[in-house]
Amino acid sequence: MSMNYRSIYRYIAGQLPLLYAQKDKLWIAIWLAAISALWLWNRIFLNYPAFTQIQSAFLNTFLMAFLCIIFSLLLAWSTAVGLHFIPSTRAPYLLLPLTFVLNLIRSVPQILGVLIGYIGVTVLIRADMLSNRTTIIILLAFITALFVFLELVDLIRERIDHFRKLDFVNAMLCCGIKESRIINIEILWKNSLAHVLNKLIALFGVAIFLQCSVDFIVSIGLSTEVSPVNLPPTLGSMLAKIDSKQDILAIGYSLTHPTYVANLLFQHLQGITTAFLIVFTLLSMYRISIGFSRRHRL
Amino acid sequence: MPRKYLDHLFSVLFIVLLFLILFLIVRSGAEAELETEYTRVAPYLNLASLDLSEPLHRTLFSETLNIYYPETEARNDSLVELTRRYATDDFMAVQEMLRSGPGLTWSKFWSLSGMYISFIISYLLVMVLTYYGVQTLAVLRFVKEKQNLRPYLIRFVEHIQQLPPRDDKSAIAAYLQTGSKYLGLAILKGIGYLILFSPAYVLAYSFRSRFDTDTFVFMILLGAVSNGLLVMYAQRFFTFLTSESRKGYVQTAIVKNLNAAYSEIPWSTLFRFRKRFDDHILQHIYLNARYQYILTLKEQASFLITGLIIIEMALNIHGHICYELLQNVLFEQYDVVLIILLGLFLVVKATEVLVDLWMDLEAMKYENR
Repeated sequence: MSMNYRSIYRYIAGQLPLLYAQKDKLWIAIWLAAISALWLWNRIFLNYPAFTQIQSAFLNTFLMAFLCIIFSLLLAWSTAVGLHFIPSTRAPYLLLPLTFVLNLIRSVPQILGVLIGYIGVTVLIRADMLSNRTTIIILLAFITALFVFLELVDLIRERIDHFRKLDFVNAMLCCGIKESRIINIEILWKNSLAHVLNKLIALFGVAIFLQCSVDFIVSIGLSTEVSPVNLPPTLGSMLAKIDSKQDILAIGYSLTHPTYVANLLFQHLQGITTAFLIVFTLLSMYRISIGFSRRHRL
Repeated sequence: MPRKYLDHLFSVLFIVLLFLILFLIVRSGAEAELETEYTRVAPYLNLASLDLSEPLHRTLFSETLNIYYPETEARNDSLVELTRRYATDDFMAVQEMLRSGPGLTWSKFWSLSGMYISFIISYLLVMVLTYYGVQTLAVLRFVKEKQNLRPYLIRFVEHIQQLPPRDDKSAIAAYLQTGSKYLGLAILKGIGYLILFSPAYVLAYSFRSRFDTDTFVFMILLGAVSNGLLVMYAQRFFTFLTSESRKGYVQTAIVKNLNAAYSEIPWSTLFRFRKRFDDHILQHIYLNARYQYILTLKEQASFLITGLIIIEMALNIHGHICYELLQNVLFEQYDVVLIILLGLFLVVKATEVLVDLWMDLEAMKYENR
């Protein structure tokens, strides 16, 4: 038995330097470990209704952020490839209005765009045109994607421009390979996937940040206009609850009363957990993105 | 005029026109609504026997309406509520509302203008702070990496593995001191990262019980350090520095004996606003990285404005333009909302034009145009 423990220890000790060298995997492991530990801690010490609320808010937030990056990928890929092909189509004049609209979206501060979108969704909810929670989540994710996908468009266009200058593209064209295949498969899929994934990791963090912020603003600022019951609970709306805000205020109190710090982990668990989930996830996404770009030498 | 400036001009004209049309639609709609509303309540306003501030009178009025119009009870209730509002509101407020419509008045416009100027000042200050902060953090990280300084946590782990002899008390004291220094610095760095990645509202509520978070200075500081802005753009500047340092001209300069010893750079030069590293390879790497960073300022400006909007809205800071925006969305004063949105759009556009102008000036210098 002791041999088994020793071999497990040796195996883990041997893996640690490898994990440390691959910072993205290390941070994924740290994030998963921290979230699991937090889940366990809350399961033991947080009251059950608050625990289920946080759990559902966490899942909704991550589902929306995940859907947001899927939409961003679809929008960005089609827009960038479309912009590349439009000049050689029968309607090259479409390039100007499309670029104009994209630049216009770029000039709208993301939070305002998403906020206006959220207000639109709540108007639809109030008019009973929208009631299904899944549809609301998909719509909110799409709205967020509309204001973040342009970063990915820029990246994809850069990649296409970079590879278009290389000989292999002309060589493939001479071999009779269709340009759409060269762009989609050879350039983007085979040679830019790591770049795209890295950008998507960063956008995942941005999507969480934007959704939490808008939900927080909507929950505290537009509470009579938009009942929080109408929108799916997220970490942002959880943080806007009075209990959570009191919990966050306790952090300030413990700065001057260090002995109070221990209470944060028991009495103020709802707000502290919500804030920690947001902040730690944003930090982890940043570190994962950096680690990923270093590992793939981007 | 270069095409990019024409693009800016057309997009500003397009948006101004669009907002103007929407403004007129919203305004005429609101005026018509107000007129209809007033026509509905006018017959009941001057009834001598009716005092709608009294609950009994309100109930009587409501029941009378229900007897005469039994099929529209909900409408009757809203009419009672509306009449009560007109009858009991401050006379001047009602007059003002009737005279100018429910939304934008001239006094409100001037008040919004003051808030807008205050927003622009805070935006400019945060922009300057982040411009400095981004470059300083990135250069610091770059120099530390070139000096091969390992992270504090790794140094702590390596340190605790080198136990001194048990009988050497001075060595044990030094061992503990160094260990606690590394651990303390690692914890501080971790807390620093958590602060830099905290959304503004989390930070503000954490400190709200300690000091007044509604002050202008606090807002500026919060705008600069929160929402991950500083770290994200410092990382981007760091990427520019790293990619520049790998270029051929840097290797050539090093071979030709230009100073490339990063340990000789005094720390004080890293914190200067106008950074200069005379007779050092970092000067050239820095200048080229900064040149590439200029265009990133457009994106940074948009994200910075997002951060400021979040701060003003989430903290409910009275007398600020984004708080007004939220309040007017809440009270459905869409003409005011449109004016504020247009103002915010113009700030972003103005930044984009200025950045393009700056980039053109720098291009003339570095690309011999």
